[in-house]
Amino acid sequence: MAAMAKVTEEQALVERFRRGDDSAFDRIVEQHSAEVAALANRLLGWPGDVDDVVQEVFVAAFLGLKKFRGASSLRTWLFTITVNKCRSRWFRRLRRLRPVTAAEAEAVASRDRSGDELAIDQEALARVRRAVQRLPQKYREVVALRYFQGLEVSEICELLGITPNVMQVRLNRAKRRLKEQLGDVLEEKS
Amino acid sequence: MSEELMERLLAQADETAGEPAFRRITAAGIRRQARRRRLVRIGVPTTVAAVITLAAGLWAIGTRAQGLQPEPQRIASLEEQVRRLQAQNSATLRLVQEVLEKDRQDRRLASLNAELASIPDPMREIDRQVDKTAFILVYQADKLYKELNQTESAVRAYKEVIQLFPTNQWADVARERLSQIEQRRLNKSDGQKGEARWEPRNT
Repeated sequence: MAAMAKVTEEQALVERFRRGDDSAFDRIVEQHSAEVAALANRLLGWPGDVDDVVQEVFVAAFLGLKKFRGASSLRTWLFTITVNKCRSRWFRRLRRLRPVTAAEAEAVASRDRSGDELAIDQEALARVRRAVQRLPQKYREVVALRYFQGLEVSEICELLGITPNVMQVRLNRAKRRLKEQLGDVLEEKS
Repeated sequence: MSEELMERLLAQADETAGEPAFRRITAAGIRRQARRRRLVRIGVPTTVAAVITLAAGLWAIGTRAQGLQPEPQRIASLEEQVRRLQAQNSATLRLVQEVLEKDRQDRRLASLNAELASIPDPMREIDRQVDKTAFILVYQADKLYKELNQTESAVRAYKEVIQLFPTNQWADVARERLSQIEQRRLNKSDGQKGEARWEPRNT
């Protein structure tokens, strides 16, 4: 019932926007910007500052909202845009990739290390994040959407345009790789 | 167990990464940004096209100007080439003129030779005229002697032929006539009467 009401509210907002009511778009931004920013942050490997990506996502949404037919929820639609923008950004970053200097590596390591027991946990979690970052893009996307974003399987399949089987295969392969990389952490934690 | 642990670890890793930072977004801001992007999307290619067109135009003008004003070395080379061609042309012209002149001279020489060949031998002509004159004198002398009985005049005429043309055949004839006249005079003086009249030979 609540979902129905939400869909109706989204449709109303889109209709208002089509009629030229900017406040409807403000409302959409208000409702979804935090989730879009969180997803972008996770997909890009937790860089912290995702302002540019969020701006790009909402500019694209602003330009394409009039064509939005409501086949999926507004949230899924915005997430699709976010995934695409992050992919573009990822490829742009790959193009600009440069070797990490020893000083930069030390700075990252010292940021992750900070005091005894808590520091050990922080270091382990930082390793988890790095392992996720090292995953191939298609595996990283399903991990981020499933475990970090908490989306349903059907939602992920719709968003990425893949079948549930494909999604499950990707998820299993991603987990296997993570286990390979984080074996000692998992043993320690268990 | 391991699956759950991993999911928990992933969740913890995400939670401890911190909240993402981003500016507050408004419809007005997005509209401005969209307008700016549209402007860039249209303006940049247009500007690039205009710059390329301008550059191409300038390049074309520059190339044409460069074509109209060649380098000094190229000018010198072309001038040298023109001079060489002019010299070659002059030499060819001179050769043609020489050949034509020689041909003209050859033709003139051939014409003169033909003219010369048409002219009779002057010595023979002189001989012929001499022979003719001598014959006329002998003929007149014969006429004086035979028809007019002017023997003295005839003798003078024969002597004149012998004097003027001593080697001519008609001088021999004149001598023969004088000899006959002399003989006749001798015979006449010897008293021979009724002697037949002498007839000069047919000339």
